[in-house]
Amino acid sequence: MTRPNRSAKKSALKATPKNAAVPKRGMSSIVIAALALPGVWSPAAHAENAPEAGVISFKFLHYKEDKREGVDYSQFKKDGHPITVNSPSVYVMAPLGPSWAVEATGVYDALSGASPRYHSTGGASVMSDERKAVDLKVTHYRERSSYSLGVSHSSEHDYVSKALSFGASFSSEDNNTTLNIGLGHSNDSINATDGGVSGDIYGKRKKTNEFMVGVTQAMSAYDIAQLNLTYSAGKGYYSDPYKYFDNRPDKRQQLALLGRWNHHFEGDGSTLRGSYRIYHDNFRINAHTLQLEWVKKATPDLSLTPLLRLYSQSAASFYLDPVYDANDNPIGYDPNDPTQLVSTDQRLSAFGAVTLGLKAEYRIDPKWSIDGKYEKYEQRSNWRIGGQGSPGLGSFGATFIQLGASYKF
Amino acid sequence: MKALARSGRVLAAVAVLGWLAGCAELAPPQPWEKGNLAKPEMTMGSDPLDQGFTQHIYSSKENASGGYGVGGGGCGCN
Repeated sequence: MTRPNRSAKKSALKATPKNAAVPKRGMSSIVIAALALPGVWSPAAHAENAPEAGVISFKFLHYKEDKREGVDYSQFKKDGHPITVNSPSVYVMAPLGPSWAVEATGVYDALSGASPRYHSTGGASVMSDERKAVDLKVTHYRERSSYSLGVSHSSEHDYVSKALSFGASFSSEDNNTTLNIGLGHSNDSINATDGGVSGDIYGKRKKTNEFMVGVTQAMSAYDIAQLNLTYSAGKGYYSDPYKYFDNRPDKRQQLALLGRWNHHFEGDGSTLRGSYRIYHDNFRINAHTLQLEWVKKATPDLSLTPLLRLYSQSAASFYLDPVYDANDNPIGYDPNDPTQLVSTDQRLSAFGAVTLGLKAEYRIDPKWSIDGKYEKYEQRSNWRIGGQGSPGLGSFGATFIQLGASYKF
Repeated sequence: MKALARSGRVLAAVAVLGWLAGCAELAPPQPWEKGNLAKPEMTMGSDPLDQGFTQHIYSSKENASGGYGVGGGGCGCN
């Protein structure tokens, strides 16, 4: 049952218009600067003016799941421990002349450990794998707009993903409002180790188109807000080849509306960052995500950021609870119907989750800075908000740690 | 009732944002009033590696994703 190798300071506030002769980048870039997002296309971190300085950042990322109740890790001679991921990564952004910039990210994930094959504990198997991911984005800046083209490639031994994206941003004359649009296409191929639990999962494909429209608005001298709508439509293989009782729809549509609001407190100079996302997909899953971060300067060079994230989702329409019949099949599962949509994946169940974290950033000098972040994540059925969680599942927890350094050039 | 509960949650979120908004008088800033908005902590994504890492984890351990951008490569995260 084991699976081998599956592996600016606030002084500007009361300045006179005359004092407004601040470098153009600093002023006109505000709105678009608020748009830097993960993903290959994300609205540029800089304004219509190309960035004047480059940056290179390194991070070491560590992810470790807690031990799951009911899983006997000692049964495995190798990788008999909860899933652990160690992941060094690098990010480079460099200006190319007055109106161009290039950004690149490289990530290497080394993963190992034991994972359940159904529900929260069932038939755990060990895995080890590595993932290499790179992305590249080129942005062209014009007076009130910017245009980006990005490519990405991610490979695991059994999963390869290629993606292409285009983004554009358009600012109002006063630079207080920016409209963003984004288009993305990804093409994934899946070749499961040993063909997965069914033995025949080879050469499967998945193609996805993504669309985004967003608005960012400077609400006041202390507030900036953003509203993004993303829609993703894909078709292909969405099942998990390493899980039993898993046959998911071959089409997936996902809709997400994200609102973000950052507020700067004049009194103590701290910043509160809030976001809320509502999500719906054709698996009939509804989800809500609320996150709050408070950035507080402990010294002029040291900032501390505690964070709280709350998440809740309903179950997929084809998720089956861990209640089994005499043949050890989940109640509702028809072994004679290969077309039946079914899943016992805990990630498709109804649950709630809480993340508590703390980030510290220290500026060594104008060029160098270092940072560290610790987060504890816990997922429980009875933490679902606004409804019942899926019964019979164990809790799931994990720890995330980041250590990083950044240099401006 | 479900729709009501859902609406309640949305309203709660709006209330939180409204509370934040209430902390300051909302009026679009003049060019010389944007110093605070230029601070790194006021941007929506000043640490791309941090955001990439956390979004990657959440999209592999939870069902929901999206809202932050387009075109990121997928993974076989199991």
